[in-house]
Amino acid sequence: MPQELSLDLKTDPSADAVSGKPAADLNLAQAISILHTLTDSVKKQVLGRDDVIDLTVIALVAGGHVLLEDFPGSGKTTLAKALGEAIKSEKNTEEKTFAPFRRIQFTPDLLPSDVTGVPVFDSNSNAFHFRPGPLFAHIVLADEINRTSPKVQSAMLEAMGEKQITVDNTTYLLDELFFVIATQNPLDLVGTYPLPTPQLDRFLFKITMEHIDRDAEMSVLETYIERRDHKLTGEFVTRRQVLSARKAIEDGVNIHPAIRACLVDISRKLRADDRVLQGNSTRSLVLMLPALQVAAALQRRNYVSADDIGMLLPRVLGHRVELAPGVTDKEKVFSDCMQAPMEQLARSTLP
Amino acid sequence: MNSSESNYTAQRIPGMLRAVIFAIAFWALSLSLTVESGSTTAVLGCLIGCLSADQSINARPLYQVRLSSIVLSTLGLSALTYWLAGQIVKSDLLSSLLTPIGAFNSAEAFLWFGICFMASFLLRSLALRTRYGGVLEILFVATAFTITLSAHRNGMIHRPFFIGDYALIRGIDPATILMVIGCFAVIAMSALLMVENDQRRLPYHFTVIALLCLSLAAYVQLFGLPTPSVTDDMGLTGQEFSSNNRQQENPFRDGENTAQDKQAPVAVVVFRNDYEPLNGSYYFRESAYSQFNGVMLDYSTRDGMDLDLIPTFTDSEASAEFTPEAEDQHKQVQTTVGMLIPHRNPFGLESPVTYSNTINPNDSRFKRTYNTTSWAPTYDFEFLLGREIGNRNWSNAVRAEYLKLPDDSRYQDLAESIVVDLKPEYANDPFAKAWAIKAYLDQNGIYSLKNGHAYEKDPAASFLFGDLTGYCMHFSFAATYLYRSLGIPARVGIGYSVPASNRAGGSALLIQAVHGHAWPEVYFKDVGWVIVDPAPQKTLVDMSTDPQNELQQLLGDMLRDDTSYTEFMDSKREGLFGIRSFLTVIAAIALGILFLGYVIRVYRCLTPRFCSAEKRGQLAYRAILDQLSAVGVTRNYGESREHFAARAANTSPTIQTATKIHLEYSLGKNRHTSNVNWAKFRRAVAKEVSENTPTWRLAFALINPYSWAFTR
Repeated sequence: MPQELSLDLKTDPSADAVSGKPAADLNLAQAISILHTLTDSVKKQVLGRDDVIDLTVIALVAGGHVLLEDFPGSGKTTLAKALGEAIKSEKNTEEKTFAPFRRIQFTPDLLPSDVTGVPVFDSNSNAFHFRPGPLFAHIVLADEINRTSPKVQSAMLEAMGEKQITVDNTTYLLDELFFVIATQNPLDLVGTYPLPTPQLDRFLFKITMEHIDRDAEMSVLETYIERRDHKLTGEFVTRRQVLSARKAIEDGVNIHPAIRACLVDISRKLRADDRVLQGNSTRSLVLMLPALQVAAALQRRNYVSADDIGMLLPRVLGHRVELAPGVTDKEKVFSDCMQAPMEQLARSTLP
Repeated sequence: MNSSESNYTAQRIPGMLRAVIFAIAFWALSLSLTVESGSTTAVLGCLIGCLSADQSINARPLYQVRLSSIVLSTLGLSALTYWLAGQIVKSDLLSSLLTPIGAFNSAEAFLWFGICFMASFLLRSLALRTRYGGVLEILFVATAFTITLSAHRNGMIHRPFFIGDYALIRGIDPATILMVIGCFAVIAMSALLMVENDQRRLPYHFTVIALLCLSLAAYVQLFGLPTPSVTDDMGLTGQEFSSNNRQQENPFRDGENTAQDKQAPVAVVVFRNDYEPLNGSYYFRESAYSQFNGVMLDYSTRDGMDLDLIPTFTDSEASAEFTPEAEDQHKQVQTTVGMLIPHRNPFGLESPVTYSNTINPNDSRFKRTYNTTSWAPTYDFEFLLGREIGNRNWSNAVRAEYLKLPDDSRYQDLAESIVVDLKPEYANDPFAKAWAIKAYLDQNGIYSLKNGHAYEKDPAASFLFGDLTGYCMHFSFAATYLYRSLGIPARVGIGYSVPASNRAGGSALLIQAVHGHAWPEVYFKDVGWVIVDPAPQKTLVDMSTDPQNELQQLLGDMLRDDTSYTEFMDSKREGLFGIRSFLTVIAAIALGILFLGYVIRVYRCLTPRFCSAEKRGQLAYRAILDQLSAVGVTRNYGESREHFAARAANTSPTIQTATKIHLEYSLGKNRHTSNVNWAKFRRAVAKEVSENTPTWRLAFALINPYSWAFTR
């Protein structure tokens, strides 16, 4: 890790030189190309998971977090690592240097301080100095988050929600790009502490991954040595570029009032549906707006359209909506509730 | 749990409603065809069939079964049910256990349960599995009510009695009630179909409703609105609804019960031409007994016999297959007949050759009204002297039929003993022989309604060789047998004979029950059937009737008066919202709707050229969508525009680019598309559509005025 860090520091000025400009001046086209650079370089490392990569990048740029529900060995770590390596942090003397990527394996005996960091007594200066924990990174992989105690979970989730941690009454700000990829195993539930719905609300997406197809699996086996030994040679983007792309997309991608109306109508329908025990929160809609914008930008559009809603809404609301007992087909509930508002939206474009 | 239950009932209600409508339709259909037990089980079978089809057709065991197998097996099971029901009636065991009536009732119940269950199951299966099935259901319900309605056409049948009695007491036509129930049933079915199927079958529905309206209108045009009967039957010569062309009972026995209502009016005839019969009576022929069946004379069953008779009523007009010969000896007489009681056959002044229904001026008075053309004889009897007998077109078999008589040599003996007295010059003349026989009966016969011959094996023989006391049937049968024994083709004509004096100078003639008559007829070559009617000089019955001149005149005026009749019909038409003008209005509305469709279509096509630049992004895109929806490529409900464009790219790849530009314009910040060449897009789409679409679809797209309505 230190080696990689030094590598980062070395390449940092050149990356800044490549981007060349102050962040805020990025226009939408440049932001879109940054997005594609990011996804392309991750796709080189992670094969057969294009949809998950897109969603992860959308969450990253939109400032959300992702919960992956997956089997062991399906490439979660590879994905998180590849994403971390695709973003170089530029050298900045004013800010603390954050690691590009940290992984925390959650266990039942983990303590909050293992995650956040802890003040350590320095005998030289005769004072306590804060030693940052693994959360001080751009991208944090929180592996098997449901295995740890609720105490650690809540510390983790506070950090995710507020982008800050408080230790001994001192608040430390996390990186602006702080992005958590949490995972949980959907099957092995013995001795776990399942995340309650309000805590799930902190995650922008809950992505249930499926096994990759045959061809992709074949090429994973073919290229694993190259991917293991080969240092990332693909293009990368800087932390600042990502942040400015976030800003550019926020300004540049239009959200038509009809889109907002459609979102509100869908969630109202969901809440009114007999099959739904608890509908989605208003916060989920607020969080969804930037995600929609990034999704539109990823499709090289400067407006949010019905397709973005169709793609993102089930992923954003899937873990936020609780179904009534006996109802199992969540997809059908969603598609039923989406139909009328989506029709309304489609009609709004014609006189 | 509660919510899912309410959801469940919400899904059940349309199914229940449909089952109930089906049950009513089957019930209406079964009313005129079966007994009460059959109707009851028809309703039950239908309810169970509908609900079980709804429940099971797309569920576990049945959903794998092909539709064709379901259709075939339901048909097969129906046939099996039919056969089993027949066995129930035939089996000795059941009829001895349940009594024959009970066995019949249970067979009907079984049959109707099975048939209705299968039919409703089949219809529901078709509706659930195919696109056209729902329409079949509607057609079926409509047909069920139409059939029941047509059974009520003359107001003859009033089943079910609780509707019939209720309606008739209040002066309502029971058919109207059935019609209203039927209309509601069909509308409810259509509404159910529309509600459940998301408007995709709308074209089917409009077609079906249009067909229904047209058939209803055609029905009313052809048959008029159904009329209830007001008077009772007093049938003398047969009843109209025993359409079976067999002699129902011994003709010698119906003289016994007509004495008391001999004054009853039967029909009124209006003469349109001057005509006065030479022999003092108007003869109206309805039918004839011409074929000897081994016991007595009966209606003919052989082809080629009695071609001059008009066999039955038709809906419009009919003519005899044969016209009398010797035109100069006949006069064409037009008459209008108004029947006051139902008859089996139309009758007309001898000899009627054509018959055509005419509009009934007063349907509470006349059962039927029709015009006839008759070839009335104007010749003297002397004209017949020296004539040959028979028709040269008759086959030998037909000729033989007209000469058959009971195997009793006394007929020939008596006939020969009568004609032996003829002068030598007339010894071989058929007419002279016939006349001699008539004269013999005139002199020796005694007319009486009371006689002892009715239950003899051959009443004619009993009469002729016994006391010679009888009425017209005896005289005509005896005379016919005597003629035939001499080789003269003869038959018994049946109908009415009214004394010419009854006409009392007017053009109307009232026929009363007492005028019912039978007479012998002889066929003369080149002349036709000639009535040679014995008129006994001694009579024990007072056959004179009160002429009822006032009634005759009143009925005649009612039947004849064309102006008042027209007024009457006009007033009736106004009351009945004028079918013809109603149809015209409907046609005009339909044309208008069609025209409006084209106008809107052309407007939507042209408007992008003239609209402002800001609106062009929407209107031009809409015009492109119209192009696609004309060939049936339309966006589904709830489908996004991009998704539709990807789907429509099979037909026209350009639509994807156009959709992108349209959405950028509609949802993006950039609100102008002035630099976009929409006309180019539209040409490209038109070209691609014509390349990728079958020709018939293109032709349909060209003429469909409402293709734009499917654009979403």
